[in-house]
Amino acid sequence: MSLALLTLVQWLSPAFPTGAFAYSHGLEWAAAEDGLCDRDKVGAWITDVLRFGAGRTDAILLAHALKGEDPDRLTDLARALAPSAERLRETDEQGAAFAATVAALTGRPLPPRPLPVAIGEAAAPLGLPVADVVALALHGFAANLVSAAVRFVPLGQTEGQRILAALHPLITDLAATAAVAPLEAIFTAAFRADLAAMRHETLNVRIFKT
Amino acid sequence: MTAHTPQLARLERSQGAAHVAMGMARGAVRLRDLAQRGSAKAFLPHVAGPVPEIVFLNTAGGLTGGDRLDYSLTLAEGCRAVVTTQTAERAYAAGEGTARVTVAHQVGRGGWLDWLPQETILYDGAALDRETTVDLAEGAGCLMLETVVLGRAAMGETVTRLAFRDLRCVRHKGRPVLVDPLAFDAHALAAGAGPAILGGARAFATLAMVGPGAEDALVRARAALDEPGVEAAASAFQGKLVLRLLAPDGWPLRRQVARVLASLRGRDLPRVWQL
Repeated sequence: MSLALLTLVQWLSPAFPTGAFAYSHGLEWAAAEDGLCDRDKVGAWITDVLRFGAGRTDAILLAHALKGEDPDRLTDLARALAPSAERLRETDEQGAAFAATVAALTGRPLPPRPLPVAIGEAAAPLGLPVADVVALALHGFAANLVSAAVRFVPLGQTEGQRILAALHPLITDLAATAAVAPLEAIFTAAFRADLAAMRHETLNVRIFKT
Repeated sequence: MTAHTPQLARLERSQGAAHVAMGMARGAVRLRDLAQRGSAKAFLPHVAGPVPEIVFLNTAGGLTGGDRLDYSLTLAEGCRAVVTTQTAERAYAAGEGTARVTVAHQVGRGGWLDWLPQETILYDGAALDRETTVDLAEGAGCLMLETVVLGRAAMGETVTRLAFRDLRCVRHKGRPVLVDPLAFDAHALAAGAGPAILGGARAFATLAMVGPGAEDALVRARAALDEPGVEAAASAFQGKLVLRLLAPDGWPLRRQVARVLASLRGRDLPRVWQL
């Protein structure tokens, strides 16, 4: 086990203070109002968000940031891609907290950026394979959605871990593809995930920020 | 027979480009330039009031593999215009190749563009790659709509094979402020019943307003989202208002879009819309 990989595992662990637990990516609305009520439905929803939505988009953005592409340009693109107010907030706030914490640990100047760009900029000097970094970041995103579902749907802890384990092949496939994809390959089909994030804004009782 | 087929396919492909430029003259927004070739045309119907209407059309009657269609409009400083298309655009089964559509509008300082094309109907087997860009100068804004219908419900059509990429990009002084790339291929359609994708809907639309006053329109937009059978939501952020709308078929969606547009714009829809 390399020290670089351990460093990355620390940065992407749920204990790292990005506040990830407070963001549900619209899943709270889907569970409260759209019948997202059991393991199969939650698993399918997260699968589709990874394959056709923000998972894939962020994976490609992260890969480009890791490869040293101009982070200001990637920041503009990542923010312009956010489909709603809360989705922008989710990536901006977590990215800012992530960059501030890594900056404090390493002494490097890391400005606030959307999450995938912040992770890429911070992790680039670790010199790890791009697909590995992307896979770990996607795993963190999926694990956070599972955790939101376990708390809110609710699902049993073991059921949640089953969902996450079943996502592993998809995560490695997505990471391998994203590692070599051009920015022009960023496309989404997760139309109702965007709708869920928008409708979350007007949900009466909310325990998540997004 | 086979030796002639590729050549025939090439001959059937249509090409078209229409460009319109509008500028201020004698206190009104007037036509400065109109260039059109091939299957693309543009015309300016007579309208009452100070905001001109520009209508683009594709005389090829639809798009198929290898077709190429370009629409563009340049609005000079301080000009407003409403721009639409004469009918719904149809993308047929592509055969070989992909149809490419480029829409590139520029809005001068303090100007405003309403880009309100009619819907795009995608037939089974369609291959369409479309890129819509709007470049806004300082203080300029736009309202843009894109409506897509998967097949014709009345004909019982189900679309399972598709290669559709649809990128919208709005830049303000050269910086991207809205990038909305949608894509549906066979895999996405197979997952299309999923609640994070289309939830089984066959018609979907995105409406975006970018520029001065966009965020203030949120309350009005939400209040107009009441068409039965249509799912819709709106969000305002970063000088933008963005709406996503879905329906089982094109017709309720069209009614809903018309109602939101009426509420946002406070004026009649382009005449060619014929509701």
